[in-house]
Amino acid sequence: MSSVAASAQSDSPAASRTPRPVLQLVDVRKVFDGFAAVDGISLDIEEGEFVTIVGPSGSGKTTLLRMLAGLESPSEGYITLRGELINDVPSNRRPTCLVFQSLALFPHMTVGDNIEFPLRVRKMAPEERRKRALELMAKVRLPEDYYSKNVMLCSGGEKQRVALARAFAYDPDVLFFDEPLSALDYKLKKLLEKELKDLHRESGKTFVYITHSLEEAMVMSDRIGVMRAGKVVQIGTPEQIYSTPADRFVAEFFGEVNIVPIRRADGGWLRRDGKPVAVAPDLDIVGDEASVVIRPEYMRFVTEEAGADNTLTGTIFNEYSLGSRLQYQVRSRTGRTFLIEVPRAAAWKGDGEVTIGWDAGNAIVVGG
Amino acid sequence: MQTVGRTRTHFLIRAWTTFVVLAIYLPIACGALAGLSKGRYFAFPIRIFSTEWWGKTWDSFEIHVLVQNSVLIALIVTVLSVLFAFFGALAFARYPWKGRRAFQRLLLLPIFFPQPVLGLALLLWFNALGISPTWKTAVVAHLVWIVPVVTLVIAIQVFSFDPVLEEAASDLGASRLFTLRTVTLPILWPGIWSGALFAFLLSWGNFPLSLYTAGADSTIPKWLYSKMVAGYTPMVPALGTMSTLTAAALLLGGGLVRFLLRRRAELRARER
Repeated sequence: MSSVAASAQSDSPAASRTPRPVLQLVDVRKVFDGFAAVDGISLDIEEGEFVTIVGPSGSGKTTLLRMLAGLESPSEGYITLRGELINDVPSNRRPTCLVFQSLALFPHMTVGDNIEFPLRVRKMAPEERRKRALELMAKVRLPEDYYSKNVMLCSGGEKQRVALARAFAYDPDVLFFDEPLSALDYKLKKLLEKELKDLHRESGKTFVYITHSLEEAMVMSDRIGVMRAGKVVQIGTPEQIYSTPADRFVAEFFGEVNIVPIRRADGGWLRRDGKPVAVAPDLDIVGDEASVVIRPEYMRFVTEEAGADNTLTGTIFNEYSLGSRLQYQVRSRTGRTFLIEVPRAAAWKGDGEVTIGWDAGNAIVVGG
Repeated sequence: MQTVGRTRTHFLIRAWTTFVVLAIYLPIACGALAGLSKGRYFAFPIRIFSTEWWGKTWDSFEIHVLVQNSVLIALIVTVLSVLFAFFGALAFARYPWKGRRAFQRLLLLPIFFPQPVLGLALLLWFNALGISPTWKTAVVAHLVWIVPVVTLVIAIQVFSFDPVLEEAASDLGASRLFTLRTVTLPILWPGIWSGALFAFLLSWGNFPLSLYTAGADSTIPKWLYSKMVAGYTPMVPALGTMSTLTAAALLLGGGLVRFLLRRRAELRARER
């Protein structure tokens, strides 16, 4: 596990693209009552990047974001913004802005007053403020007549847009997002994810987003960092994270997967049931224990005509329809549960007894 | 079936509310009538109506001093108790710290302490400290009992205040003072207003504390009580009715001002 944490900084493709990161974290730790919520994170965030930090609840991602926004100060380590140390710079003196999970819209103000709040702080003239607010409302696709609407009477999606416009009114160098879309229904979420990505591209600003949802991270991000227990266990492009997860945790976090534990024996690898496993030849695993990770869509039914590198037999005990695709749960002879996903056309026609399998090239082997 | 049920529900609601209104206002109406009696003594039915006692009450110098005392005490108590209670309420409803629960309970305890005993205890204290009791000591006594009540009232509003709003304001560049002025206070206003109203009314109507701690200075409740005990005249119900009517007028006036302000804000918003 520790070898994985060390690789956190290494595989960033952006590192070679832009020489100077806008935000830089060096060994940042945050300890609450002896508990390290953030436990040594080093991370470079490049100008104009969309970085998403994903992790289960309690992994420390919100604490990390609060330190970046200036709402907490780190116990150890350094945070720099464009080369300047900002560890103890309070949030109101930072050129960064956070869109809170609850959005934190001011309930006693209209939509317009909410958006104009940061401009009022800067003592901008009322007429100018209003002009700017209306521009921003157009940018986030809020109708103009919402300007004098009570913000609490807006729908969830509209509130989202108000919060976004307010953050943009502050004109920050870096925008932070603390799962702002988590309370919305699926369709609206998908729409706003795309709009957020467009907004990121148009504005050219740096976005740092945290979420526990893989899907959200995949859709929007240039890079994804996966956090667990206060550490970043892997960081890379969505493609890298999806296809080469650093360990079992990352693999399992990024969707439903099948895990087959294996151990080294006589230069090869054996499954628990003693059968040899075919793995990719260039495997580089330290230690004698490893796990084969196979995504459900790479598992298939094995027949006389279509074999597979690795096979196992079991019984189907559940079937789910995903629309154009079908998922089956198969219990193997050793009692493990496997998930297999096939196109509807390839639905299993036989009885409950099946042989399923996967090819070595489609599986990922991770240590531990 | 449903309409029958609904009709019955409506009937019960009406019957109940009528009963409540009668139960509250009949005694007040009787008191008001008593003040309009020509006779000196309290007797029903009233034989001859007259506004004589109202006139006497209105012109009485003694009563003017009483009202002045009561208003002054109540105003000072309102301002001070809202000030104390606001920060007290913030302390235990807004910020987490060790002992906040203990503080909350300790703060609320005086409410349950019988007021006459509290008044006597305070009087003994003032004597021990060599302070002769006047309306000023009565202010202190009122505060001891009223600050906890007002703290409770304001705390209810503070509990529903989301501290994230202050963080958001700061994150958008606002200083602490700007945040207090534009975010925290406006959101807590309703609680502060009701706290102030409570403070004024509790001080205005307080008898047991004033009895012990106001010394030679009299307040309206003190005077009413002493006149009931000895030397009753219809000035007692007349004064009682007057203060009720004044309160009603103030409430109506306040409501009207609020209505006008809101309408002006709406008109202005529409103009924009």
